[in-house]
Amino acid sequence: MEMQVTDPLLSVDSLTIDIGGANVVDDVSFSVAPGKVMALVGESGCGKSLTSYAMLGLLPPAARRTAGRILLQGEDLAAMTERQFRKARGKDISIIFQEPTASLDPLTTVGAQIVEAYRAHHGASRAQAYEQARQMLVDVGIADPDRRLHQYPFELSGGMCQRIMISIALICGPRVLVADEPTTALDVTIQAQILDLMKKLVADRGTAIVLITHDMGVVADIADDVAVMYAGRIAEIAPVHALFQAPKHPYTALLLASVPKLEDAPKADLATIEGTVPTPNEFGVGCRFADRCPLVTDKCRREQPPLFDCGGGHRSACWHIDRMVEICEVAA
Amino acid sequence: MSDTNNVLEIRDVTVHFGGRGGLLGKAGPVVKAVNGVNLDIGRGETVALVGESGCGKSTLSNTIVGLQPPNSGSVRIGGEEVVGADRRKLNDIRRKVQMIFQDPALSLDPRSTIGATIAEPLIVRRIAKGKALTERVAMLLQQVGLRPEHADRYPHQFSGGQRQRVVIARALALEPDLVICDEPVSALDVSVRAQVLNLLVALQKRMGVSYLFVSHDLGVVRHICDRVVVMYLGRFVEMADRDTFFSSPKHPYTRALMSAVPEADPMIQRSKERIILHGELPSPANMPSGCPFHTRCPLATEICSEVRPELTPRPDGALVACHHA
Repeated sequence: MEMQVTDPLLSVDSLTIDIGGANVVDDVSFSVAPGKVMALVGESGCGKSLTSYAMLGLLPPAARRTAGRILLQGEDLAAMTERQFRKARGKDISIIFQEPTASLDPLTTVGAQIVEAYRAHHGASRAQAYEQARQMLVDVGIADPDRRLHQYPFELSGGMCQRIMISIALICGPRVLVADEPTTALDVTIQAQILDLMKKLVADRGTAIVLITHDMGVVADIADDVAVMYAGRIAEIAPVHALFQAPKHPYTALLLASVPKLEDAPKADLATIEGTVPTPNEFGVGCRFADRCPLVTDKCRREQPPLFDCGGGHRSACWHIDRMVEICEVAA
Repeated sequence: MSDTNNVLEIRDVTVHFGGRGGLLGKAGPVVKAVNGVNLDIGRGETVALVGESGCGKSTLSNTIVGLQPPNSGSVRIGGEEVVGADRRKLNDIRRKVQMIFQDPALSLDPRSTIGATIAEPLIVRRIAKGKALTERVAMLLQQVGLRPEHADRYPHQFSGGQRQRVVIARALALEPDLVICDEPVSALDVSVRAQVLNLLVALQKRMGVSYLFVSHDLGVVRHICDRVVVMYLGRFVEMADRDTFFSSPKHPYTRALMSAVPEADPMIQRSKERIILHGELPSPANMPSGCPFHTRCPLATEICSEVRPELTPRPDGALVACHHA
């Protein structure tokens, strides 16, 4: 039934992460094919960042993977030792973070940082590695690479630092790039440049991207598929057009309705989601969105909804998919 | 000249930093943060100030509330001059203008209950005390959608959206004429942004307060504003009412900004015309000659690097500073 043409490069299978007895990531599954962008969307505390750290073997000490696999071309990353992971990280799978200036070493030139990443995986001479780094800077659209390589992070703007981070992440040609809010700290005109760069990398190199974001605009721009996460679970997963056109989960529908639209009257009331995201110790046995959901019934509080297949790769974890029309009325 | 309906009147305000004998008596570079701007805000009006980091919008906000004296120009709030006012006068004027910042966690004292936080301006101004004060705080909490019994809680016991409500309640305690909202929803989760925006609109309808809404999010700006001002390197480059601004943006920077803001709709977003600006924002310490935007402008010609265009009116009422728009 699945419409996949290419085999997935990376698949996360029933990933569950525990912090202090609560499943802060609960049974999360998705996959991404080469040259595709999979977006994980959600608000703070939804588990999207933990999921991405797990993919890199970078979970904080308090977090423990209690179930699930992370398969990169058939190999289970989650079962790797730290030693094995060090070999994979950077070469097979890389990550870029939200705050580029905080992720770069302030005391080392950016050139040396890119070279270090390259030489960690290749037995190249320093000169060869510099040549690689120079080419990489050209690829990420930095003019005057020779001068930039010898500069320190503080001498560069935020957008430039993010290009450097992307260079470090991609210098060894990983097949998967995890991008954790890569443009959130940047101005919009610079955000547009970086998103275009990411699209180009996907097209030219066939890199698969797992994009973590809270910005529906960024998702609409770049994603092929979207997983909407809420309180540690996937609420809905779908190809991008299907998700925006006909959301099948009340949370997604309300989230989309709460973003001001082009056709809205000025100062009109926006749809809101009452209440706030539950903390892990407030997770009930049923649907975690139940307390904020306009469609809630007793069944929602009693029983956790599985991800129902709606066809066309669209799945939603809601007992009341047939009542989505009512949400559209609430939202309007 | 002075219109009593305006809560704010800014004339030719210029703010420069540095330049005077820095380290070892050497003159440092002059950072030209704000350069000769004019702006009026009417009663009950919301004006958006749009621009990217480093464009001078925060400096201008600080100048309006009297935190940053300008090098020249005039700032009048409710007809009273802020520039050069003595402490007592400034104190009086400040009652009429309040600020709301981006991150509510940083603008609340973690060791004060939110009741004490909201009461503080009322105590300082000797407006209320005792039972009247408690009632006033309870009323303010209700106005922003919180409950009176929340007064005894501390900021950490609230979510981000609730904390921003507390900040709004404090800003409204003195019934100001003008509230400067500096990116008030950028730090909030998407699902609570709409709640806070709805609250700001409702309070304006009820109290007639004016907002200067500083933001880079054009979707939010389009939703909440009556008029829009675009700032680039310390100058206003375009100023127009909401409908004119969004239906026919004129300055090439405005157009680039609009095309860069991603719409939350893949059909619209992927079919829209994209203007990708090349290069970075120049430093305000090393201002380009002529038009400040010419180094990144797709329309730039020779004249742009030589002559700085002034804001000039267009047939539909918009003010635009561009030789070619």
